Amino acid sequence: MRSIFTLIWKEFAHIKADPLMVRLIFFPVLVQLFVIGYAITTDVKNTPIAVVDYSNTPVSRDLITHLKYNELFRFVGLTTDERHITTMLDKGEIRVGLVIPPDFGLKISNNKSSSVYLRIDGEDANSSQVAVGYMNSVLSRFSLDRVALILKSQGMNIESQIPIKVSPVVMFNPRLDSTWYMIPALVVILVALITGLLTGLSIVKEKEKGTFEQLLVTPITPIQLVVGKIIPFVIIGVIEIVAFFAVSLLWFRIPFKGDPVALFVFAIFYMMSSLGIGILASMIARTSQQVLFLLWFILIFFIMLSGFFIPIENMPGWVQIVTAANPVRFFMFIVRSILLKGATFVDLWREGLAMLFIGIAVFWIALSSFQRRAS
Amino acid sequence: MNSHSISPLRIRALVIKETWHIMRDWQTLIIIIALPVLMMFLYGYALTLDISDLPVLIEDPSGSSVVRDIGRNIDASQTFKVLGYVYSANNVEEVFKTWHVKAIFRFAPDFDKDVRNGGTPAPIQVLIDGTDPNQGTLIRNLAEPLMQKAAFGILGIKPQASINVVPDVLYNPEQKSSLFFVPGLMAIILIMIPAMLTSLTLTREKELGTLEQLLISPLKPIEIIIGKILAYVAIAAIDGGLMLFVGQVWFGVSCAGNYAFLILSCLVYILVSLALGLIFSTVAKTQQQAMLLVIPITMLSTIMLSGFIFPIASMPQALQWLANIMPATYFLLLIRGIMLKGVGIVELWQPLCILSGMGFLFLILSIRNLKAKL
Repeated sequence: MRSIFTLIWKEFAHIKADPLMVRLIFFPVLVQLFVIGYAITTDVKNTPIAVVDYSNTPVSRDLITHLKYNELFRFVGLTTDERHITTMLDKGEIRVGLVIPPDFGLKISNNKSSSVYLRIDGEDANSSQVAVGYMNSVLSRFSLDRVALILKSQGMNIESQIPIKVSPVVMFNPRLDSTWYMIPALVVILVALITGLLTGLSIVKEKEKGTFEQLLVTPITPIQLVVGKIIPFVIIGVIEIVAFFAVSLLWFRIPFKGDPVALFVFAIFYMMSSLGIGILASMIARTSQQVLFLLWFILIFFIMLSGFFIPIENMPGWVQIVTAANPVRFFMFIVRSILLKGATFVDLWREGLAMLFIGIAVFWIALSSFQRRAS
Repeated sequence: MNSHSISPLRIRALVIKETWHIMRDWQTLIIIIALPVLMMFLYGYALTLDISDLPVLIEDPSGSSVVRDIGRNIDASQTFKVLGYVYSANNVEEVFKTWHVKAIFRFAPDFDKDVRNGGTPAPIQVLIDGTDPNQGTLIRNLAEPLMQKAAFGILGIKPQASINVVPDVLYNPEQKSSLFFVPGLMAIILIMIPAMLTSLTLTREKELGTLEQLLISPLKPIEIIIGKILAYVAIAAIDGGLMLFVGQVWFGVSCAGNYAFLILSCLVYILVSLALGLIFSTVAKTQQQAMLLVIPITMLSTIMLSGFIFPIASMPQALQWLANIMPATYFLLLIRGIMLKGVGIVELWQPLCILSGMGFLFLILSIRNLKAKL
């Protein structure tokens, strides 16, 4: 036991001896939390739009006013020639061009259906789809308003013409704020990055300097050595989790509805995997550079397949099966559920168990490869 | 700097030395070459941004046929998949947590009567799981028109005169995600790999103490920089070429514009990245520190802030300014413009000039920093 404490002491001395390192552990990560927290809005707002109005009637001008005062779009300009729209799309100045045909005003005034033409920049498939959806809803609101106006002039109420009334209620994230969804997930990624990276680097550094062999010939057993190596990083990991969640709750005002004890227990399960991967990477690699590359590589896979910004349900079947081996996926789901939905052990035992299994497996492989190397 | 002060011979020697370093560490080389290709396949198969088959539940206390009809309409839409009908869902939060549904459509017990009698509209409540705002917004926007249409259809009412939207998607008419991620991945890889390699090789020389030896040798700082850079330009160019090749052969992404202009843009971008790597290496003392600078500044900010996945126009103003100083933002304009839109220098001279300016500025800064070490 005493030898483990000595090792932990030694590890903290290493960290303390490198003041830049200490700053790099916390500050860039915190900065990232803030920057990325604000950057990753998947909502599509302020889509730049230009309009060609061949109709030039009160109706079409009314429609343009509707668009101008809609915050989903940023009105760039009104042109008289469709070719201007193409040039602006080519240059990337607008993402959507609306063409109102000459007979639009007449048809709508006579209560007939009419068409408008959209020219959409398809280079970003997601936001262009969303923009079309917005345009559809703006136009249907516009035509509904007109119908209501006409009916009212005839002394009728539009309410009586509509058979149903749909009232949506958004739960768990009532303002549909994407920071609520992304920040907790970001914490999950940053914790894996920091704990895995630090563990891997601290072991491989000893290998590079040749002190690893020295440690092995001391009376310390390999198990003690591993435990002594990882405990400082578990402590750092816990401090980081607390700090990140403090920022999430106090600055970003994300609710914490669920059970903190469950979160803490699951976090320990999670760190078993991230620390295990760090140890494993340091066993495979010979230099710090290789550890960095390896971990970075593994992490990219984990992040992409975690549901961070691509929902897992949308992935092809075999990719979904692959994600079942991904600890980041489970912890991300757990953190989001605990914070936003108020989930408890009862709701999350499947994910927790999966994470525990992955953690034990990874750690066991890491430990046995460490022992093989030590003997 | 005078022209005769740079010696091609000395640079050649340095390039040979650097190539030896790279070849000796072949594991790293394999990762660098294989990584972009693997990432392409990962993005190619995992990246589907369209949302379909969201599981929903219908609460119908009366078990009426009208509700079943509307339910079939909901199920028939691509977006939703009806998991089942329940008599009543008392604790809706629990239902969300245990059933993992994205929405619950709640019909009143006398919905059937209300909808047939007319007068007042029959209420339908849609409970939406808003944790993922993207899906939540989509459900909210889709639910009402979908059910209106279903109700109109069942009651045989003709909808009012309406405006049809005829969309015409340019550049990517089939909305293939490959056209979207191939240029985006190139923007990530081509800034990350060169910056990482240059900063790591220079900090390694620092750690080993060989940088001092190089600096007191007859080599001039600019020669050291050119010699260090050339080998990594080659590696980055291989990565870029490989990604274009795989994109073309496997994912069917061809370049609509001019190849020469595409290559020029890539080279300018690689240069910016190398210069960034040099600056990092003058700031960092160890490889570890260099790495902790490289990852957030190149990779993460490129993924998050360049408009690759998250649209810049939706960000808060301060972050839009930050996005405007990211080299990747301009490279993405260039490469998407050339590959997808097929436009040339006339439309794209602005981002090209800004990118070149950045490269020039970073290079001057890094040379000055390295000189200060002397």
